[in-house]
Amino acid sequence: MDVYDGGSNARRAPDEPGEPGDAPAPDDAPAPDESAAPDDEPTAPREPAASGEPLPDPYPDPRTGVAALSLRYQVGVALALAIVAVGVCVHIGMVFLHVAPQNTLTKAYGRGVDDWVFPEFEQNWKLFAPNPLQQNIAVQVRARVRTADGGSRTTGWYDLSAQDGRSVDGNLLPSHTQQNELRRSWDLFVATHDADNRPVGLRGSLSETYLRRILVLRLERSEAAGPGDVLVSVQARSRTTNVPPPKWSTDKVSEQPVYRELPWWAVTADDTERNAR
Amino acid sequence: MNRFALTVSHGIARVTEAARGPYQAAMIRIGFSATWLLFLLREFPHRLELYGPDSPWNWNLAEQLIATNGAFTALMWSDGRFWFETVYVLAVLSSFLLLLGWRTRAMSVLFMVGVLSLQNRSIFMGDGGDNVLHLMCIYLVFTRCGQVWSLDERRARRTEEARARGEHVVDRVGPLLWTVLGLGLVTVTFLGRLDGDWPIPVLLWIVWLAQALWWAVGRFTRSGQSRIMLDVIANIVHNGALFVIMAEACLIYATAGWYKIQGSRWQDGTAVYYPLHLDSFSPWPALADLLSANGVMVMLVTYGTVAVQVAFPFTLFNRRVKNVLLAAMITEHAVIAVVLGLPFFSLAMITADSVFLPTSFLRRLGDGAARARGRLRARFAGGGGGGGKGAELPGQRAEETKGGRGPDASRNPGDPENPEHTHVGSTA
Repeated sequence: MDVYDGGSNARRAPDEPGEPGDAPAPDDAPAPDESAAPDDEPTAPREPAASGEPLPDPYPDPRTGVAALSLRYQVGVALALAIVAVGVCVHIGMVFLHVAPQNTLTKAYGRGVDDWVFPEFEQNWKLFAPNPLQQNIAVQVRARVRTADGGSRTTGWYDLSAQDGRSVDGNLLPSHTQQNELRRSWDLFVATHDADNRPVGLRGSLSETYLRRILVLRLERSEAAGPGDVLVSVQARSRTTNVPPPKWSTDKVSEQPVYRELPWWAVTADDTERNAR
Repeated sequence: MNRFALTVSHGIARVTEAARGPYQAAMIRIGFSATWLLFLLREFPHRLELYGPDSPWNWNLAEQLIATNGAFTALMWSDGRFWFETVYVLAVLSSFLLLLGWRTRAMSVLFMVGVLSLQNRSIFMGDGGDNVLHLMCIYLVFTRCGQVWSLDERRARRTEEARARGEHVVDRVGPLLWTVLGLGLVTVTFLGRLDGDWPIPVLLWIVWLAQALWWAVGRFTRSGQSRIMLDVIANIVHNGALFVIMAEACLIYATAGWYKIQGSRWQDGTAVYYPLHLDSFSPWPALADLLSANGVMVMLVTYGTVAVQVAFPFTLFNRRVKNVLLAAMITEHAVIAVVLGLPFFSLAMITADSVFLPTSFLRRLGDGAARARGRLRARFAGGGGGGGKGAELPGQRAEETKGGRGPDASRNPGDPENPEHTHVGSTA
């Protein structure tokens, strides 16, 4: 049972709070890492036995290969072996510390771990963990439109997440544009804004532009503005509803949706003109 | 002490004498490149919205973010539409060629460049599947993943045969490819486009220089010593990378499992119910309802999922148990592909799992695929008027099995593309 969001490259701060328990366990996890390299494939070389054919000797004459080399070259091999062994151990150790909960080591050497892991080895495997998401968060949008005759009107709410949900229905190959784009942009917005919708840091302001551009794109696709009309501003809100607990469960959750409404944002020319169609 | 020394020397022999797990390495090469290829083809209509210069996450936004983290992406080298399309097409092409195992090492580098370029361009578009590919495409560069099931293998075999016949074989494509890629690398380096975080640019340079060294040593040195040394080093690097890939897969499962244990929904046995009822992940609501209709079943699946994920890394010490768990995980991911609508994530995870598949199984898989290909060719050739060729095939196969070399012999069964080959094989 894995993922929907796992990858979340959303480079958030190492997530630690809100984790019930202190997860003593993951410390045991890297057991295989520690073992010396030769143990790495318990499967591969030994398997041919099962096929009943004459075994290609898993340990062919050791006199070939390294043993065939003169001392000078053997030193070269030894050096390479040492470098690779150290590199492999350090890398696995760093990645382990990156995915492990905050602990004595990461408190002391967190910077070093981050330097090693970011940006290319970032990962997040808390797939549906510690708890799966139990709410449907629908992103909705409406717009103020200046009509061709100079008047102005406000559209109704467009439920973009519902549109995405419908396009995923019965779809064997959902697109990232239907499954991730809006959902993750909203997550990013929420993660980079305070309760008063004020942006926090660079990511905050980037995420605002990003979300606005998605909203404009989607409104244009829905033809919210008729021919000759101009999008002046947009407003988004989220509608969060609890997934009703299963029938057999005795849990009770509120069925009332909770709304979070963002301020009106002015639409720029860049949002409308230079935006993927 | 003596035993310890023996174990160490044994270990050293194992990691130096060969690039271990050739079938597993080929499996992940094919799996990851196929996942990415299919993804790119599927998203082709949406490519501009996902990664294009005027996508919602447009070039300017990406530039500001990348200025802070230095991630590698060729898409930031220009904000032009043409450059974007070029990179996209190259990403498609390189994953296809990597899948076939054509100039595997070079293609694995281009594959990595393609994956990183597109993903790092729009990091908020991805999910867990993208994350797996992102890591694995880097690790793959270090492996010798074209030893089997690849065009490289066939080329090596033909070269050897030609040499055995006393022909002089010169490889022109390799040096040409190296020159073209090198020109590109030198250009972008001097234009200052590789000024981000250093590891990926350094990796590109190292691989490029190593290829030159490899070629030069094969060409100009008289003693076999340096050649053997490079070969041994390549084995060591391969084995290290394969180990990292396995460890990475274990870390994925361990993290996913151990964090779940702490969740109340995983404890009360209802967790699996919830994702099935999220709008973005329920392409088949009726099926989801059916699967989650029975509370006891949901609980068993919930507990089973956690147990399997937590246990998996430890079962590597026991082949039989490992294989059972592997089958369970692959099945679960296949179900996820459809039920949660996550085909590419699932394919990436199944591929990561397959690095643990037993060699005997992979060989049978390979034989099956080769036979199916042979039959297909035969039928195609027969239908297309080349009846003679089609009729030849069964005979070839019979001959091979008569040879009694077992499944190994049919690894490249009667390669219809290369009738010569079978001749050589049967007379040898």
